[in-house]
Amino acid sequence: MTLLKSIVDWVDVRIGVREVAEQELTGYLLPRNINSWYSLGSILLFAFALQVASGILLLIYYVPDADKAFKSVSYIMNEVPFGWLIRMCHAVGSNMMVLALLLHMLSVLFMGSYKRPRELNWVTGFILLSMVQGISLTGYLLPWSQLSFWATTVATNSANAIPVIGPYLVEFLRGGKLVGAPTLGRFFALHVALIPAGIAAMIGAHLFLLKRTGVSAPPFGQENTSNQWQGDRYHYEHHPGGIPFFPVFALEDLRSIAIYMACFLAVVFFDPYLFFPKDAFIPANPFVTPAHIKPEWYFLANYQTLKIFPNELIGLSLQGAGMTFLAMLPFIDRGPERHPLKRPLFMACSIGGLLLWIGLSVWGHLS
Amino acid sequence: MGSDSRRTFLGLCLGGLGAIAAAAVGWPLFRYLAPRSSKESAGKIVIPEKEIATGDAKFFEYAGSSAVLVRKKDGSLIALSAVCTHLGCIVQWQKDKQDFLCPCHAGHYSPDGAVTGGPPPKSLARIPFSVAGGTITIG
Amino acid sequence: MRYPALYTKFFMTLVIFLMTAALIHLSPHLVAAEGPAEIVCIQCHSALPEKFSAPVKQWRGSVHAENGIGCNDCHGGDPKDAANAMKPERGFLGAPKEPSIPSFCGRCHVGVMKDYLASVHGRALGKGGPTCVTCHGNHQVVKASLEIINEKRCSRCHSFERARTIRQAMQETEGLFISVDARIQAYKKIGSDTEKLEKSLFSLRNSFHSLFHNVNVDTVKKESTGIQAEVRKIQTQLDQWDEAGGKRKFAGALAVSFMVMIALVAHLLRKSYHQ
Repeated sequence: MTLLKSIVDWVDVRIGVREVAEQELTGYLLPRNINSWYSLGSILLFAFALQVASGILLLIYYVPDADKAFKSVSYIMNEVPFGWLIRMCHAVGSNMMVLALLLHMLSVLFMGSYKRPRELNWVTGFILLSMVQGISLTGYLLPWSQLSFWATTVATNSANAIPVIGPYLVEFLRGGKLVGAPTLGRFFALHVALIPAGIAAMIGAHLFLLKRTGVSAPPFGQENTSNQWQGDRYHYEHHPGGIPFFPVFALEDLRSIAIYMACFLAVVFFDPYLFFPKDAFIPANPFVTPAHIKPEWYFLANYQTLKIFPNELIGLSLQGAGMTFLAMLPFIDRGPERHPLKRPLFMACSIGGLLLWIGLSVWGHLS
Repeated sequence: MGSDSRRTFLGLCLGGLGAIAAAAVGWPLFRYLAPRSSKESAGKIVIPEKEIATGDAKFFEYAGSSAVLVRKKDGSLIALSAVCTHLGCIVQWQKDKQDFLCPCHAGHYSPDGAVTGGPPPKSLARIPFSVAGGTITIG
Repeated sequence: MRYPALYTKFFMTLVIFLMTAALIHLSPHLVAAEGPAEIVCIQCHSALPEKFSAPVKQWRGSVHAENGIGCNDCHGGDPKDAANAMKPERGFLGAPKEPSIPSFCGRCHVGVMKDYLASVHGRALGKGGPTCVTCHGNHQVVKASLEIINEKRCSRCHSFERARTIRQAMQETEGLFISVDARIQAYKKIGSDTEKLEKSLFSLRNSFHSLFHNVNVDTVKKESTGIQAEVRKIQTQLDQWDEAGGKRKFAGALAVSFMVMIALVAHLLRKSYHQ
């Protein structure tokens, strides 16, 4: 151990690493009443890292050419040792990451942690949600199966409803009048380079804002659960007498990540095809539209909304309005109260909204 | 058990589990990245040259499916997969017409395997081969 | 508040940015996917009286329609030019007369035609014997199966005895094909590379079905044994895949329990820090 100590000493006298460890790890205090929902952020970071790692590994064998893409994926699934495992981790991982993301958003909503001074955190989080949806959409096309091809056709088609620029926007997105090789090219660049870099940068911003403002304390187990922030000047939200991030909450994070991984691996090994209809294994055929093309589960509510309204523009606008409302929430809900049971209007709206989203999704699945 | 010794024990357990996890991840990762051994090269077929006369074709099994060796009119040899690219039937060699005909849906291929008629979408796949000392080695 | 102007500017920029983000939530929308326009034969004939529109309805339920084989692929003619669609100069053949039926279908189904012409059925062509259409229909041609050999059909011309013997001889092999096909389809649904196996099975199944056109029991029995041996090779490959699948599930169980163990140890370690 003295060797380890000498190495740390050597680094410490140069960059003060022990001070950093004290500041960020052992001395970083979290509120005593912190709960496991706060681990969802770490779970998401871990899931994202897994996606990047499995994605890079897939890049080694995947060929982004319309004539070769499907075969390359088939090669990974059948010939490359453990290729099936890497591919399924990536596919299942994306779905689980979206699920974790929705849970993370819900917990922030219910604990009122989006309220002042944390509005920017919410906004960066919303941008992350949009980017994760974008990366899922672009990634879906890459295997170039019937499902990929036609789901992308349907998704890009919805831009048509936008007045004036709609049809041009559709062509711009596709790189041509119909989905084809140019679409694959740009979606590949987006999926592999631009959006991951964007997500990484936004995660950086999100974490910086979190650390700069200080983590919020859950509004549970306290008499006064309303927001105390005065808004006159910046100050870091301390939690004196709190629990140290390292090793205590880091262990809670590890426990949560392990549970997430247990669920994740259970799906990967025992029912990975949960998210794969049979059209996912038929090579794309631009001349044959399969009977029932549906988007992934997290887009079903949007899909069903557009089906309800005969006018596409109304359907799109409603969704746009809903999303805008969600994005602007901290600026609309300015009440100081944070405890969910003391915010009846908020709870009514959010539970109503959640049930509506679930209902639409189920309807979309069954229709 | 004092809490300190408990922590040390549990810490060691965690460390051990971590090491196992690293190995469990490392092994498939290594196999995934390692260059593939040419296991497919096993099972080469050897055919004496004189078994194929000019304008003749010889069918044999290679890599688990049907293949054919043709000596074209100009004397040159070509090795092709005999599996029709339409739906998978085995093509037949027509000596009089010097071309391939698939009996299932009348797909036609030239002696080089190119599609000359019918429903097949692609030409017959070529198989590499070499000739040395009067014998043909397929694969 | 001293900074309303700044706040408003920020607010507006945010609104514009977020509206753009909201628009990016372009969601899948089931637009009636427009396929390519139907060929002129279908367009015209579906609007005609029963006698001429019935074939269209029948064809729609056929294996030909499923695979993109349309009217002009058999009858010739021009599928895009309504005015000249049925002109002989455009290759239109019309409906074949009875003696010409085998060569009509045999333009594509070469192997079957050869077997048929060499058989007793083929030798009876034009003398009261069956043509392709007698057993397979003309427009509603479906994928061949043993069901085609049945009492009702065969006893139109002679007793069912001989046909029954052949059908029984083929039943076992057919059952083998059906079960292997189901196994292959199950693997196809999970992304396994079934191309070689599918092609091999198709080829074997085709030669097996074509076999019947000989209508010779002994030939059928002899060839069946050979074909069965080949199908068993496919079964062996599928068995290997089943085994590999079992191993993966076992590894999966280990991996999940392992993660649960890590969670447990982390939990205990966390609890030891109760301050």
